[in-house]
Amino acid sequence: MEDPWKEAMDHAVAVARKAGAVIRDALQNEVKIMCKSSSVDLVTKTDQKVENLIIASVKEKFPTHSFIGEESVAAGHPCILSDNPTWIIDPVDGTTNFVHGFPFVAVSIGFAVKKELEFGVVYSCVEDKMYTGRKGKGAFCDGEKLQVSDQTDIKKSMIISELGSNRDHETVSKIFSTMQKILCIPVHGLRGSGTAATNMCLVASGAVEAFFEIGIHCWDIAAGAVIVTEAGGVLLDVDGGPFDLMSRRMVSANNKTIADRIIKEIDIFPAERDDAVKK
Amino acid sequence: MSDPWKECMDHCIAVTKEAGKMIREALKKDIPIMQKSSPVDLVTETDQKVEALIISSIKERYPTHSFIGEESVAAGAPSILTDNPTWIIDPIDGTTNFVHRFPFVSVSIGFTVNKEIEFGVVYSCIEEKMYTARKGKGAFCNGVPIKVSGQEDITKSLVLTEMGLKKDPEHFKAVMSNMQKILTIPVHGIRSPGSAAVNMCLVACGSADAYYHIGIHCWDMAGGAAIVTEAGGVIMDITGGPFDLMSRRLITASSRAIAEHIAQQLQEFPCGRDDAVN
Repeated sequence: MEDPWKEAMDHAVAVARKAGAVIRDALQNEVKIMCKSSSVDLVTKTDQKVENLIIASVKEKFPTHSFIGEESVAAGHPCILSDNPTWIIDPVDGTTNFVHGFPFVAVSIGFAVKKELEFGVVYSCVEDKMYTGRKGKGAFCDGEKLQVSDQTDIKKSMIISELGSNRDHETVSKIFSTMQKILCIPVHGLRGSGTAATNMCLVASGAVEAFFEIGIHCWDIAAGAVIVTEAGGVLLDVDGGPFDLMSRRMVSANNKTIADRIIKEIDIFPAERDDAVKK
Repeated sequence: MSDPWKECMDHCIAVTKEAGKMIREALKKDIPIMQKSSPVDLVTETDQKVEALIISSIKERYPTHSFIGEESVAAGAPSILTDNPTWIIDPIDGTTNFVHRFPFVSVSIGFTVNKEIEFGVVYSCIEEKMYTARKGKGAFCNGVPIKVSGQEDITKSLVLTEMGLKKDPEHFKAVMSNMQKILTIPVHGIRSPGSAAVNMCLVACGSADAYYHIGIHCWDMAGGAAIVTEAGGVIMDITGGPFDLMSRRLITASSRAIAEHIAQQLQEFPCGRDDAVN
């Protein structure tokens, strides 16, 4: 039976590649920074340009589809996932990296129908690596099949987490106490690349065993979620419950054994849901 | 006047390329792991093979030169820096990354004469980026000149650091406390790529504004030190005093202002010296 979303996915790959070229081009020039919710929550004209490029390109081909895009939401669009085919877009995941020329910057496009994720595309554009995942058909990087690591021993695992852009004292203390507990298990190492979408692809490719974070957004993880599961990995909420795309938090791991062990150490702090009704 | 160390440096670059190839080949197969000082201080046959390749290649050409190599020191060789021309070698910087295939793995070689660093070579071999610097002649990545970001404002900086290889909870407490202080200055972000030599090169080419670390070794820093300084950056002790290659600690940054700001925040903790007599 033919894949009803093949055309959409091919389009996502093509537009992600185009967007990546715009980003690489912008990296050659000086980048003017603006701030969103704080002095460390950065955005640039490139974020906005790339999101407009992607949405315009998709709207032309699929005029009835819906969008949740990071910069559109920042500009006031609602962030509610309906049953309608929906493109969930982070135009530049890793804006801080982009601003500094640190080599992990990704375009992330997830696609959901009836609130189920159907495919994900993450283009790590400085590395020129195209990661894709289609529900039921596996995950790939530049055409090569991806498989999570088979490690079950937490003491031989490498973990990724990020420090986020919240500098509130209590939040930061919890983030560091979690990291300290994980380091003391001990694990082989804790890394941070600066982009959630790329981090999920690193889990999918087997380079790390787990990535967890509280404070991310649905557009950071929608595409990576498909890629990790299709590579054989698992996704959970940080309290061990089922993964919730709008919850602003997530553990992605190569298997449940590693995920459960990490979850035991996580000091949870509140983060407002992406689909919370703004007052 | 001809450069007395040009031939050495060319030889260094050639052997480093070979070493990088050996590492990329090893990544295609299974990698059995051994442990050194703790269950998270890893070493592999490739670390040992690569160091042996580098040292034998140099000994053949320069039989009077000295060596300080990570795996030789682990096997009992002394780690004392003399005035003699000395090659300071980390055959695989980022062994944990290598074992996991996390993309920052490098070969690092620093060359000193009269205890002064004359040149440095760092080959980030998965990315295939060859960083080089000759004292007084600039720093390069794959032949293209590189320079630091020049950032002076700590609140606009991206900082690198690593969490270390000890298993000791007190150690991690101290490391986390320093990271928290730096993060809440605030800075734009903190990243941990996993290879000291690569971190220094990221500062040198402007992709990050600072890297600080307590607990690394001279072989992690010797190659990168030349590259950062020749790219216009600064390197100092974590107290703000002069850089000491054997001290097992450093701050390197795009500017003195950033380095000094970080030095003010950091709480020292003991890490031993590379030239301590055991």
